[in-house]
Amino acid sequence: MNNLASYNWLKEYCKTDLSVADFARELSLRSMSVEKVDDVAARFDRIVIGLVNEVRSHPNADKLRLVTVNIGSETVEIVCGGVNVASGMKVCVALPGSKVRWHGEGDYITLGESEIRGVKSIGMICGAGEVGFAELEKGEKEIWDLSFVLAVAGTNLAVALELEDTVFDIEVTTNRPDVMGIVGLAREAAAAVGGQFVGKQPTVITPGTGIPFTVKIENTERCARQMAVVIDDVKVAESPWWLQKRLLLAGVRPINNIVDVTNYVLLEYAQPLHAFDYRNIEGSEIIVRAGKLGEKITALNGKEYDIGGHIVLADAVKPLDIAGIMGGNETGTTEATKTVVLSASSFDATSIRRTARALNLQSDAQLLFEKGLSTEALPIALARAVELILQTAGGIVASAVCDTRVKEYKPLVFPFRPEMARKRIGVEIADERMQRILEELGFVVNRTAEVWQVTVPFWRDHDIEVEVDFSEEIARMYGYHLMTGVLPAGNPPTTQEPVAIIWERFIKRQMAAAGYDEFFTYSFTNVEDVVKYGDDVATPYEILNPLVSEQSHLRISLIPGILRAIEGNQGHTRAAKFFEVSRVYLPTVNDLPIEETHLVFGEYGYTDATSVFRKLRGTLEMLANKTGLEITLSRGDIGDKWHATRSANIIIGGKIVGIIGEVSEKIQQRFGVDLRVFMVMLEVENLFEAMKLTHRYTLSSEFPAIMRDLSVIVDERVEFAAITRELKNDLLTTVALVDVYRGKGVDGGKKSLTLQLTLQATDKTLTAEEANKVIEEVGEVLKTKFGGILRS
Amino acid sequence: MENELRQLLAEVQARLLGVNVLADLEVVRIEVLGRKGKLAELLKGLAVLDINEKKVIGVVANEVKMGIERAFAEVEDKLSAAAVLAKNESEWLDMTMPGVTPEVGHTHLTTQAIEDITNIFAHLGFVRARHPEVDWDYYAFEAMNMPSDHPARDDWETFFVKGEKGVKGKMVLTPHTSNGQVREMEKGVFPIRMISIGKCFRRQADVRHLPSFYQFEGLVIDKKASVTELKGVCDYFAKSYFGPDRVTRLRPYHFRFTEPSFELDVSCSVCSGTGKVDGVKCKLCKEGWLELGGAGMVHPNVIKAGGLDPDEYSGFAFGWGVERTMMMRAGLNIDDIRILYKNDLRFIRQF
Repeated sequence: MNNLASYNWLKEYCKTDLSVADFARELSLRSMSVEKVDDVAARFDRIVIGLVNEVRSHPNADKLRLVTVNIGSETVEIVCGGVNVASGMKVCVALPGSKVRWHGEGDYITLGESEIRGVKSIGMICGAGEVGFAELEKGEKEIWDLSFVLAVAGTNLAVALELEDTVFDIEVTTNRPDVMGIVGLAREAAAAVGGQFVGKQPTVITPGTGIPFTVKIENTERCARQMAVVIDDVKVAESPWWLQKRLLLAGVRPINNIVDVTNYVLLEYAQPLHAFDYRNIEGSEIIVRAGKLGEKITALNGKEYDIGGHIVLADAVKPLDIAGIMGGNETGTTEATKTVVLSASSFDATSIRRTARALNLQSDAQLLFEKGLSTEALPIALARAVELILQTAGGIVASAVCDTRVKEYKPLVFPFRPEMARKRIGVEIADERMQRILEELGFVVNRTAEVWQVTVPFWRDHDIEVEVDFSEEIARMYGYHLMTGVLPAGNPPTTQEPVAIIWERFIKRQMAAAGYDEFFTYSFTNVEDVVKYGDDVATPYEILNPLVSEQSHLRISLIPGILRAIEGNQGHTRAAKFFEVSRVYLPTVNDLPIEETHLVFGEYGYTDATSVFRKLRGTLEMLANKTGLEITLSRGDIGDKWHATRSANIIIGGKIVGIIGEVSEKIQQRFGVDLRVFMVMLEVENLFEAMKLTHRYTLSSEFPAIMRDLSVIVDERVEFAAITRELKNDLLTTVALVDVYRGKGVDGGKKSLTLQLTLQATDKTLTAEEANKVIEEVGEVLKTKFGGILRS
Repeated sequence: MENELRQLLAEVQARLLGVNVLADLEVVRIEVLGRKGKLAELLKGLAVLDINEKKVIGVVANEVKMGIERAFAEVEDKLSAAAVLAKNESEWLDMTMPGVTPEVGHTHLTTQAIEDITNIFAHLGFVRARHPEVDWDYYAFEAMNMPSDHPARDDWETFFVKGEKGVKGKMVLTPHTSNGQVREMEKGVFPIRMISIGKCFRRQADVRHLPSFYQFEGLVIDKKASVTELKGVCDYFAKSYFGPDRVTRLRPYHFRFTEPSFELDVSCSVCSGTGKVDGVKCKLCKEGWLELGGAGMVHPNVIKAGGLDPDEYSGFAFGWGVERTMMMRAGLNIDDIRILYKNDLRFIRQF
């Protein structure tokens, strides 16, 4: 909630000599944040009062006039399109160099001298909107008639209209609706900036007798107090300028003196009031009740609402307004109103909130009511409104001051232990200082015992709930900025980082080191993607109130999001290595989802599937080696998400924990990816517990190794693992696959494998003869067991 | 003999003037200094001399030999330097060719920020914790002193998940990491110094908001936690993360789950906390300050929800957006937060 507060108005209730900047800073540090400071007069630089001498027609334009205006020091001629400009009228003249908004819209622009249809024009005669008061616009082509102003021609507008003021835009926290009013803000400000709060009691209403009137609360759960008073013989008219001005600076449109007074009191005391035309209330009674089933009302915004079950103010036959939210369209005051019923109510905050939500209807009054307002603000606000109506619209109080409440008011009292507050704040603040702070804010302190008794003022009866609330009042008024920070004392905790966090970090670092770039895809998915990926739409959790339809469900796999990311990149990055470590949300029965961390890494945009598979497998094995896991791959029924002969399950500890494979062309194409994608998906969540950092050293042989390359042509489907299983020899330490070749010199259905054999003994240097013998044996095995043809 | 020796030296020096390649130099060297070379031949004459003459000639012979060797060395140096130069000239490289970036991968900017944040708090003894991203509204709200229908819940534009209502309420996507506070206390191990960094969700998306983002939640529960300790931790973090020249301030605020509550502001990097750039209002901040996020002393009702006695235990907590914090670091220059999760590799590879 933001409060646009006039400094001049504020100073009527808070005596302070602080400059605008100091006031704003001190208030922000101890109370509410001042987000903007608006120097009102600065808006009206070079805008002055002009007195119209003469109005002539424009020689070249029917709709324009030439107006001779006295602007004090001189008389100038201005071209003007205003339909109501007349000689003898006081107008608002914007001189060259001033800032105005064309037709009251858009940004402010700096005015220059201009020529309009061949006639030179010095400045501009403005409509109210053009100098920032769009709320006062009567017609599009009307200029602002300032004849009511006493100031002479040439007087600066800010001076003439008493607009030498500052408006603070203050963010008021939701627990403090009282600070939405000038009086509440002044009380805060006085305590915060060291000013003096000036409390003023409005004139007590003198009850009248002419018109009998009563109020009744039928729904005692949702309304705690209802007041009303009738004022007869009012003259509904435009409000005096001083009143309009205050509404305008707060961004409220002036309507008529009756409505304006209720808005003025709202701004001053943060207590909504409503004014009804007495003629529209049948039965001389306001009844607070629940709306009947099917009951409807047309609100001030012209829309009809079904108010069945919602709380309303009603008369004997019909609803009068949607209680606490908006008045009825036909029951408010108009220019013909002679008798006004002023109503003040106290509603249950939750009830107002539910109704506002159900009807999707908001108002300034509702925003305050739903924060929780005190029953005790009603008589003060009502008295202030009566005082102002009598002052601005005349009339007399014609009824008793009707007042009914559900139960007697008892101020809240809480115990307070100064020692606990000092401990909580961490600063030695003296008892006297604490007492003074609380009292400045309106609390009544009783210090007769070690545990103090603190009485809460009515305007805080919704936000003070527990003893520690007082420590906040004391701490903030003492000033957080004056406290010295210290690092926490006490023992550090004994808990350990969860394994999931340790390994997630480890995996991310390893993946980046291995050349993979990290994606961060959203946890959301949607029906379309789930279907495209071939999963059951009933499986993922559904979001009841998604922001957009693309984010309607929670993902059960990282892969669709990653395919979308690839699709987004393929236009500018034709090949890449990527990874993501993040959670998926797997279904349970009537419980929270199982949040499981998955790792996906892969590569897209390659031409050589063999080499990509080997790189991904190598990366997978590196991760496994570093974390003490043993991985095997197994072809099997993997389903049509993956390439039928280029995919395998990843098995750790006898369980399938992931897949390595090329994404099937069907899935790839459904996601609009036009490049092949090879991926590893690993359900790492289930591996974290078993992972351990392996730091084991294996002794290397001190004797030289002999390396020999051997190329052999075998059938396409001869597996490398089958070959190495057969090549058992103590001297043969490794068999590496250097190259797989197909093409010229190798028949179709065959492939040429280049193996690099490393021969080494742990106890001696091998001779060439010994090495040759092993190589010969290997060649023999390749020929006899695999039908291989050795290439020289 | 002395003359012959000196003549040999002069002769060699003259000859070497005409040698231009190292191979020729070797030929001359063998001719003069070889076992059967000219010098050796001359010195054979020493044998016939008497002892005094030997002494005199010996000195001369030594001088001449050194002179010859020096002459060879000089020529050799000159010729090999020329040879190296010639080789280098033939190996000319275009030094204006563009560099090839090493093929390293990139962790996401957010991952990097999470690591930085983790490390800073680790110095103060804060241990990472892990909590659900989909949780019961009891943990997100009720336990955080926000009963159902409380208007404060409006501040968290919450996503609800379809499903049966459980004993702990409705299922929600956690709108803040504060759901971890009571969950951490329920573990029953004290004191707590937790830093929980997790994904949160809110129904808003624009240049400053993402529907899914990360927060880091700090929670201290101990017997003597105080506002001044919270202030100390905030300052330590801000100075470590943003740099020693940035200033912080605590500004009063209101949250249901903390009392007192405040927001932590950090001085703006663009206008150096003055609120003005070249006399014009700074576009990034409010009057020289940037809001980092909320903090406060844990509300006694939250302590109670965690199963502790608020008269015995107190605590403080803070929850700040990872992306927001990261973007407040000087110089990052990201003006639309949504770029972070577009997964554009050209973006990811810049960090």
